[in-house]
Amino acid sequence: MTKSLRHASRSRSAIFAPLGDPGRATRVEQRLADAIRSGLLADGERLPSEQELASMLGVATVTAREALVALRTQGLVTTVRGRGGGSFVTRPKGGDEAALSDRLARMTRVELRDRGTLYRVIMTGCAELAAQYADDQDAASLRDLLVPVSECDVAVWRHAGSELYLSVAALTQSARMTREVVRHEADFGVLLRLPLSTEEFRSATRGHHERLVDAVAQRDPDGARRAVHEQVDEALGHLVDLHRAVRE
Amino acid sequence: MTTVRTISPELTAVADEVSELFEGAFAAVDAIRRDLLEHFTGGRPASEDVLGVVHPHAAALLDKGVVLGCGFVAARDVLADRSLYLAWWQGESQQLLGQADAPAGDPLDYTRREWYRVPEATRERHVTGPYVDYVCTDEYVVTSTIPVLAEGELLGVVGFDILVETLEDLLLEPLRRVGATLVSENGRVIASADHRLAAGTLLEDAGNERVRCGSLPLALVTPPGE
Repeated sequence: MTKSLRHASRSRSAIFAPLGDPGRATRVEQRLADAIRSGLLADGERLPSEQELASMLGVATVTAREALVALRTQGLVTTVRGRGGGSFVTRPKGGDEAALSDRLARMTRVELRDRGTLYRVIMTGCAELAAQYADDQDAASLRDLLVPVSECDVAVWRHAGSELYLSVAALTQSARMTREVVRHEADFGVLLRLPLSTEEFRSATRGHHERLVDAVAQRDPDGARRAVHEQVDEALGHLVDLHRAVRE
Repeated sequence: MTTVRTISPELTAVADEVSELFEGAFAAVDAIRRDLLEHFTGGRPASEDVLGVVHPHAAALLDKGVVLGCGFVAARDVLADRSLYLAWWQGESQQLLGQADAPAGDPLDYTRREWYRVPEATRERHVTGPYVDYVCTDEYVVTSTIPVLAEGELLGVVGFDILVETLEDLLLEPLRRVGATLVSENGRVIASADHRLAAGTLLEDAGNERVRCGSLPLALVTPPGE
């Protein structure tokens, strides 16, 4: 496990951008935890040292340490002592359901709707533009990301879903848009994919995503927009059900 | 209605200019390919050996300031100590991408990306994009790659990324001179004399005149019957 930060991309810089408000240790913890769960920080990567993290995030060293301890408790970070040691990302293998439910439970219904609205507007807009810009090759690549209904591994569904939306975002030909979607995928996309644990929603997802890819292939912006709209709406519906269940 | 006319020498000159820009970088990464082949003759090298071979070449090319990133990307399991590996440097800080040991299906598995997949399949060099590369650079780029082949076995690809913005900076003036649009093989606009024609747009073939840029999968397009 001797891995270093993969690269200094802008979306990754966002992870280490300075924080301003109180509740800092929790926010540092939350931000890094989201980045680890979404895969923005890869399994086995070495995190910056406590001092480096503190200076990157603009917090005290003790705050960075506190956040790292919390991440360790959650099993998202492993610390190796001695030379070549440090804190390493440990990406949970499908066992992060509990942590995500936990996060969901801490959200209000208003926040859920707030984030859901932003996510939906961004993704439907991306789908519309993707259908204008995609060539046949692009459409074929999207089709490769469709998951067969027979697939039972929820992690595969979640991963493919995230990759599909990132690919759609990239098809807008806008690097800024894509970086924005990377951020929202890490932040909210992971929650929206919680309902994929039921077969019913997996099957609906397959239908919507198939229609999305068909629409992109046929250069049908309205169809692409509608497919994403319906998918996100349905996911949000299931998510508020889940939310109610974990809050009550 | 398409009118056949002789291609103006001015247009050919601009096509040559585009070709030279890419061929210069292609030659630099081809030197990496040749050096690497020697290091693969005695069995599978370790990632560290590969870094030593690639780095001086990559640093020299990056120092010229045109390419955003360049290097060697290994085929699966050809290195002694890594399954997937990118001896690839990018950005002003020339940061190494490096290790990417991820299970198949993870975003870090680059073998499904066009810049890897196409040269793997065709055994020819390839120009990918313009596209938003959300895996490595997070930027809007054109990626050019050459397969590294040893007796028919693919060892990986060498290549370079150029920001579409850089291409616009370098090529807009010559393109304007001849009123042309630079497009990729599948007709996607890279830069155009027509300010309304944004990079990334798929250009409909409306009887446009096309001039290929040397042997590259790039072409200059001018509106018909000017």
